[in-house]
Amino acid sequence: MREDDARAQSALEQALDRQVLTGRTSRRRFVGRSAGAALMATGLASVLSACGIDGTAQENVAELQKEAASVRHPKVPIGNWTFSNWPLYMDKSVLKSFDRKYGGKVKYVEDINDNNDFFGKVRQQLTQDQPIGRDIVVLTDPMAARWVRSGFVTPYDFRNVPNRKNLVENLKTISYDPKRQFTLPFQTGAIGIGYDIRATGRELKSIKEFFNPQFKGKCTMLAEPYDSASTVLIMQGKDPAKASIDDMLGAVAFIEKAAGKGQFRRFTGNDYTTDLTKGNVELVLAYSGDMVQLQADNPNLRFAYPEEGAVTFTDNLMLPANVAHPYAAETMFNYLYEPDMAAKLCAYINYISPVDGIRPILEKTDPDIAKNELIFPTDEIRKRLRLYPSLSTREEQQMYEAMAKVTGA
Amino acid sequence: MSLARRRKLLPWWFALPGLLWLIVFFAVPILNQVSVSLMSGDPEVGFSMTWSFSTYWDAIRDYHSQFTRSIGYAGAATIIDLIIAFPLAYFIAYKAGRFKGLWLLLVILPFFVSQVMRTASWQLILNDQGWLVARMQDVGIVSGDGRFLATGKAVIFGISYNFLPFMVLPLYATLDRIDRRLIEAASDLYCSRWVAFRKVTLPLAVPGIFAGSLLVFIPACGDYINSSILGSSNTTMIGNVIQSKFLNVLDYPTAAALSFILMGVILLGIAIYGRVLGTKNLTELAG
Repeated sequence: MREDDARAQSALEQALDRQVLTGRTSRRRFVGRSAGAALMATGLASVLSACGIDGTAQENVAELQKEAASVRHPKVPIGNWTFSNWPLYMDKSVLKSFDRKYGGKVKYVEDINDNNDFFGKVRQQLTQDQPIGRDIVVLTDPMAARWVRSGFVTPYDFRNVPNRKNLVENLKTISYDPKRQFTLPFQTGAIGIGYDIRATGRELKSIKEFFNPQFKGKCTMLAEPYDSASTVLIMQGKDPAKASIDDMLGAVAFIEKAAGKGQFRRFTGNDYTTDLTKGNVELVLAYSGDMVQLQADNPNLRFAYPEEGAVTFTDNLMLPANVAHPYAAETMFNYLYEPDMAAKLCAYINYISPVDGIRPILEKTDPDIAKNELIFPTDEIRKRLRLYPSLSTREEQQMYEAMAKVTGA
Repeated sequence: MSLARRRKLLPWWFALPGLLWLIVFFAVPILNQVSVSLMSGDPEVGFSMTWSFSTYWDAIRDYHSQFTRSIGYAGAATIIDLIIAFPLAYFIAYKAGRFKGLWLLLVILPFFVSQVMRTASWQLILNDQGWLVARMQDVGIVSGDGRFLATGKAVIFGISYNFLPFMVLPLYATLDRIDRRLIEAASDLYCSRWVAFRKVTLPLAVPGIFAGSLLVFIPACGDYINSSILGSSNTTMIGNVIQSKFLNVLDYPTAAALSFILMGVILLGIAIYGRVLGTKNLTELAG
């Protein structure tokens, strides 16, 4: 065992050396070519190495797995550390009780508004193998997959997260991280039909409604192709989890055709909420958690899991590469997986919790939440939930390019 | 070193901090992006220098409609701002008396709130069911379907609103500095007030009009906030394309090329505009 550890350690060191070396050569190669002002060269070289991602996805994952086999984050006192998350995605009292229980101080920042924007913010450091100054980040499946593929994550030490046994069965494995060595689900949600029943006058159940001329100019579509194109594939009777890039491009083309006829008022991110609550549109492709929160203010708003099936997404807790306080972060992972804490969080943010055994707790503390099928989907609904497709970075780029044409950008 | 020589170098020493600043924060990034725009590759294997100038042609071919739209929207917003700002600046400069400061404060007050917040508030105010849209429908600004948001008009409105102070302030500064005695002299020479305005005030205000138009037009061309909040897929501007290329598609070369094309178009436009207004010397405008 010890020998194994040592071997893995040296493999890791070699990998690091290699990375440092390649970084150095690329810079030298560049200086040789430009022979211009030194200042300019450093600037250019930094961009060059920032754009280039060394090695293929397989190499990166293999390297990470090696690292995961020997990962050991010893128990250390928790000092100041940083947790980056999406806005309105945390019950702050959970953070306070964490600080009280374990000491130290968590700096909680809500600076992830969009997976791609956030990636743009930290891309430079990640590709240059620099720490990003955050100990936990929360990213949605496709972006989490990209980070794993590119080697931008640190495996977490299972010994510090015994509560991971509480992870619900259906999330214990996922294509890009089969053993959940780099990601731990934070919350999950589904993409479905959001509508105002006063405006539509009837219940909506099918994804086909988004292409119904009745709602021409009165509905919105999500601009994120992982969400919208996958939903269209489900409508066409295909399983997005098994979809190829061609299937996805086909679905984007389908959306494009409808968009050309003025079917969709806008392509949106979370901002469909304004259009729906203000009555600009009657029907939106929506995230389940948003709808629970909107319903609290307006009971006429409805969310339906489409009868054809719904895309489900997971936001994942992750340790970024070169993480400075892995033990603190892992302790938080563990804390969030205590059923009591998970129940408290669920009652506050209203997404689907990935932690087993919180329903009995909520039945006592928040019976309304425990009854809500947006938060606790029935088994019948669970059967209809589908996962995102797995695409390579290049395919992903192709898909985004196609979707950008549809959304006019 | 002789004294004369040292004297000659002195101004350069004064300019040094500014020059360094420009080199580090302007020249280096610009050169960076020039080099990026000539690379090719994809995010998986990385980008390498291939001197592919074709990126520029492809970008123009694929996105000329967004370019024309951006210039159209920015131009329309500049004209609207000029129409609103000129009387306002005239009023502040000549009629506001001791309340000048207050008026100027009111003009810049919206800047104390983030642009995104301001624009998002308009998104709330201008909803289809809202009072304002109904009134606009009454006077025919909004067509029968009762929709103002998610149209080009809404985007132009947003840009005009957000950039108005950039037009008011230079106009005010120019108008305020005009020597009143010139206008008096004009009326002494039997000019009507209108003719005095047309022959004296207006020509003297040209530098302000020029500066204000540039300050509105240039950032408006590259703006993407208004289009993404108030517009739809039919109103995307070149700024939205650049943003999406950089952050979603990760096609850095095209994003960089688009930025340079935009820069080129704007520079060309300004050169022509400068000719037309007859102020070739930029120092004239600085005032």
